[in-house]
Amino acid sequence: MATSLLFRHLRRVLPVLFGVLLAAGAVCAQKQKGAPAPITFGQIDPPDLTAAPFAADSTAAAVVLCDYGRSYIDGHGDKLQVVFERVTRIKILTKAGFDEATVEMPLYHRDGNQEKVTNLRGCTYNLVNGVPEKTPLEASGTFLEKRTPTVNVQKFTLPNVRAGAVIEYAYTLTSDYLFNFQDWAFQRDIPVRWSEYRVSIPVFYKYKIIYQGTMPLTVDKPTIGSTSMRMDGAGGAIGSNGIYITSPTEEHQWVLRDVPAFRKEPYMTTADDYLARLDFQLAGEQWPNQPYTDLTDTWPKINARLLNDAAFGQQLDRGNFLKDQMVALAARYPDTAARTAAVREVVMDNVRYDGHNRYSSEASLRKAYDAHRGTSADVNLLLIAALRDAGIPADPVLLSTRDHGRISQEFPLLDKFNYVVALVPLANGKDLLVDATEPLLPCGMLPRRCLNQTGRLIPSKKNAEGRWVSLVPAQHEIYFQQATLTLDAAGTLAGQVREEFSGYASVPVRRELAELGDKKYLAALVQRHDGWAVPQLAVANRDSMAKPVGLSYAFSRAGGETAPAGTLYLSPLREFTDGDNPFRHDSRRFPVDLGVAQDETIMVTLHLPPGYELAEQPKNVVMELAGGGARFVYNVTANGQTVQLLSRLSLRETVYADSQYADLRELYRLMLTRQSEKLIIQKKAGG
Amino acid sequence: MKALLPLLAALPLSGLLSLHPAAPAPKYAVEEIPAALREGAHAVLRADDEVVTVKSAGRLVHTVHRVITVLDAAGDDFGRHAVSYDALNTINYLRGAVYDANGRQLHQLRAAEIHDQGLGDAGGSFMTDVRMRYADLRQPQAPYTVEFDYEVVSDNTLFYPDWQPQGEEGLAVQAATLRVTTPTALPLRYQERQLPTGTAVAHTSAGSQETYAWQLANLPAVDEEEAAPPLADLTPAVVLAPGTFEVQGHKGSCTTWQGLGQWSYELNAGRDQLPPATTAKVAALVSGTADPRVRAQRVYEMLQGSTRYISVQLGLGGWQTFPASAVAGNGYGDCKALSNYTKALLAAAGVPSYVALVGSGTDRTDLHADFPSSQFDHAILCVPMAKGGHPDTLWLECTSQTEAFGYMGGFTGNRHALLLTPEGGKLVATPRYGAAENRRERRIDLFLDAVGGATATARTLRTGQEQDLYAQLLHGLGTVEQKKYVTDRLKLPTFTLTRFNLAAAPAGPLPGVVETLGLALPAFAMPSGKRVFINPNLLSRLPALPAQVGERQAALWMARASLHADTVRLHLPAGFRAETLPPAVQLSTAYGIYASQYTALPDGTVQYIRRLELKRGRMPRTAYAGYLDFRRKISSADKAQVVLLKTES
Repeated sequence: MATSLLFRHLRRVLPVLFGVLLAAGAVCAQKQKGAPAPITFGQIDPPDLTAAPFAADSTAAAVVLCDYGRSYIDGHGDKLQVVFERVTRIKILTKAGFDEATVEMPLYHRDGNQEKVTNLRGCTYNLVNGVPEKTPLEASGTFLEKRTPTVNVQKFTLPNVRAGAVIEYAYTLTSDYLFNFQDWAFQRDIPVRWSEYRVSIPVFYKYKIIYQGTMPLTVDKPTIGSTSMRMDGAGGAIGSNGIYITSPTEEHQWVLRDVPAFRKEPYMTTADDYLARLDFQLAGEQWPNQPYTDLTDTWPKINARLLNDAAFGQQLDRGNFLKDQMVALAARYPDTAARTAAVREVVMDNVRYDGHNRYSSEASLRKAYDAHRGTSADVNLLLIAALRDAGIPADPVLLSTRDHGRISQEFPLLDKFNYVVALVPLANGKDLLVDATEPLLPCGMLPRRCLNQTGRLIPSKKNAEGRWVSLVPAQHEIYFQQATLTLDAAGTLAGQVREEFSGYASVPVRRELAELGDKKYLAALVQRHDGWAVPQLAVANRDSMAKPVGLSYAFSRAGGETAPAGTLYLSPLREFTDGDNPFRHDSRRFPVDLGVAQDETIMVTLHLPPGYELAEQPKNVVMELAGGGARFVYNVTANGQTVQLLSRLSLRETVYADSQYADLRELYRLMLTRQSEKLIIQKKAGG
Repeated sequence: MKALLPLLAALPLSGLLSLHPAAPAPKYAVEEIPAALREGAHAVLRADDEVVTVKSAGRLVHTVHRVITVLDAAGDDFGRHAVSYDALNTINYLRGAVYDANGRQLHQLRAAEIHDQGLGDAGGSFMTDVRMRYADLRQPQAPYTVEFDYEVVSDNTLFYPDWQPQGEEGLAVQAATLRVTTPTALPLRYQERQLPTGTAVAHTSAGSQETYAWQLANLPAVDEEEAAPPLADLTPAVVLAPGTFEVQGHKGSCTTWQGLGQWSYELNAGRDQLPPATTAKVAALVSGTADPRVRAQRVYEMLQGSTRYISVQLGLGGWQTFPASAVAGNGYGDCKALSNYTKALLAAAGVPSYVALVGSGTDRTDLHADFPSSQFDHAILCVPMAKGGHPDTLWLECTSQTEAFGYMGGFTGNRHALLLTPEGGKLVATPRYGAAENRRERRIDLFLDAVGGATATARTLRTGQEQDLYAQLLHGLGTVEQKKYVTDRLKLPTFTLTRFNLAAAPAGPLPGVVETLGLALPAFAMPSGKRVFINPNLLSRLPALPAQVGERQAALWMARASLHADTVRLHLPAGFRAETLPPAVQLSTAYGIYASQYTALPDGTVQYIRRLELKRGRMPRTAYAGYLDFRRKISSADKAQVVLLKTES
């Protein structure tokens, strides 16, 4: 679609171009201008072959010596293409770096448009007895895998790769997808000594260029140049001999040097959100003697386009094969929330999420409905259509899942989204976000993959303003345990326990119960607790998703710590925690993105053996993270023979800055220390 | 129909759809499943009718009709099916349909819904012609029933299909049949495994065709149990193999190991020619020593320094090696190519060797020696040697750039391999690794301070199979990633690694890795009044197994022998003395030996010594209860606490 749109413009302006810009004869397209290239294929720097130390990261298995890419636009037949040339040179430091010598490039193709690799070259250099030995990549080292009907994977592996070798490869990737100007990542999982990207864009295209990263660019230099693009086609305006279109260009050079390796940390969204990289978006066209066409999307434009789109807005009007059933539901459930839940049940009973995330429906809702399966878009667009048929004015909210990437509110870019859910306005002025892909979740809770800060409402009413919708869930991940324990003088502990998993905590436990069955679930539960005997387990609200899952059981445990008679030592809370600090690493580079706020409460009532009492009153503790984003409360109250213990952890934020990491880790440490604190229980004097 | 709708509105929509006049008659209703088969099952195999038709020595056709009822969401994986194919296997058709609980057809698989795709990274190969067709009929509501029909024509008769209907846990079998038809001139070879008593083959002859048939019915679902052999060794199976076969014009016989090895040897014969430059290099490398072991070691080092593993599996290339000259040229190959190349290098060094085929995988159970057939997925190299008149065979893993010379480990050790010699195949044992080889020796010094904090240094030497994983960490990851891996797995409350190092142990008969940790343990053992409770077993606690659910079904299988020896020295802060030490524990069982012991030393420290030897072996299922008890006692002893008393106030 991108190219045909472009070419429509080209045809329109060609007569003008003939007079103004066309150059006759052979003009060398893409003359290299400006700074010399940082790297030329085949011209290796001899010191790189020696064992000299490389880069700051001495533990790396390999280091990118230079990664150089260049993109420009050129003619190809009667179309324009984006041409991307790349040369990459990597020093293999240890055998663990051999994987760098095997490269896979997914290439997309569909409906005659394609991405294609040409001029693939590769070479390995080894220093043998002080002399560089060069082995070129042969055709036998390349392989094109037809992985799916629309994706081919070009693979190649370089020959004679040894520890200490320098490998080098170069290729040209041509793409018919002008809207997908090649993005550039400066950073990867091995350190990079020099990463450079240059682009040359004819002035009639304007791209918006977004740099993401905290490192300042070493070079960031725009210049003016020119290009001459050859077009030829079967007659028409171009003629069969071809023409050259000459145009001034905007050139840009970016360099980032000494880029450290990127390492993934726990509690992160996709790595793309953190890498130093450049992103390109087509913003507009400026043809000679034509007014500037602003192709920058605006939300009103996106809204209008989406609502007209056969794969989106038009689908929402095609759910009426459900109409009669929905009308019946409307009559049965006057309350909006209850009706919404009922509609969602019907959708979930009939269409199953296939694990693919989309915001628009590729086939049609009817097809998905007949096959009983579909993408997130099939499921949730059907949900919206059904809600509307049921008289509920639901609208779509676009979002990007956590593994797909962050949304910037600054740039209206539709292709940054990959998911859609329903927004149902409630009478109290609040919004209910509804998704029908996860049957284990209650109505009004989004799956965890969706909890990525913000989504965009696409209003159905003409000219209505869309808006940003917070995806930060009102529901938390809540663990609640309540136990009544009885200790005897021999140290034997017996107890009655009730556990509740609500909000986001309920999903994994429901899944585990279903997969293991109650008996195996109980065996696993007992295994997690030292020396416990649990005769049976009762499960409440197993299938009532809107309610917390409840587990109740009685347990007994034989005598614990041995100590001089008359004194018992017991850590009652320790029986109910796994004793693990989830923040294992002592430092952190990126924010902790939990997605959901968390709440963990343990309440224990402990009955002491007759004639015993607490020897010491433990210190009560309240600890709060600076700013109040997290809090731990520990409380022990003795009242005669009975001791009440409370441990409560609240993580109120869904994202914690990396600067808060050490404090967050310390909060957990303190909690674990308190939870394992031993009560000293001794015989009363004269008892 | 419209007028009916208000009445029908409460029905599920699938019910509405089935009113369509062309709806086929119901089949596979869930209510027809006997209750006993639903017990513990996530899915029930309603029918598995497989037909194998041997057309000739070089071609067979495998036809499958498979019907599975998915009972609940945990059985959902049975709702989809993949059939793989490659240059030698063609899929004639793949069809599918799905039915609701009442047996009414919900949907028939359309051609456009069948995905045809390459294996990608999942295949593990750089180049392969193996692809798959894949259909997904999972439904929003269980129970539902899927039906798949497919037929594969195979021109690779080295492999006959196996029949094991109950291949996964949670799957009950209502009915399954296998029928094999073969020309009389190509007698069928088969082995029945774990068939229920009373199940017998039905053999009939008609003209020049022989037909064999088996059937199974009403097998309740099985669970994968702890410390059990793989499910493949437990559920009923009939394994088929050819007598004579032909792949791409290469004829062979599979009736003996000798014959199968002969075929493989001849398929690869003559592919071991090296370029003259490589031969010269080897000659220079081994000049100055006549000792074949030293020569082999130098050749192995050359191999490891100049090649790497890249898997290429195309057509017959899955069984036939790349020529040695190709590996010499590009420095890579798969297991066959690298083994063949090493064999050629050793020949140039005057050391004879043989490629050996083996079934690979960590602690994989041994092959079925009594049923010659292709049970292999890997190639290694066997170098016969003698020391002091006794055989002292050397084995080489040629796909690793870092494996120790002569070491097989858990991936290929403790089993049989098929040696490919000019006289044909010979089954030989690969090296055994027992408790004497698989050792973990750990020494910890734990320093406590007066306010409950601690620091520790821990040095751990692992050898044999105990080091397999750590050798991979050491050679495959950078230091930062190694440290991250270890940090993510330490079973300690809040801690910081103040020191971390992995290093290869000094060269010895077995490879070893030394791990050195420095640990800061804030609030490790907070004082409770005058006392401090400490578990000195910082890193070697062995958890108990989960309690047995229901009656134990499988034999007890302890896959690996090992010896763990720990010495912990507890350094007390000033003003504390050991008040109570846990009693010594000594357990001697058929499964292994455990001993722990605490001693207050004259210098005021407390020494904890722990020794655990686990045996390798298979025992009847009745032995499992004893094993559970052994593990429970170990777990309990591993948690014992030393009590310290504050001596000054």
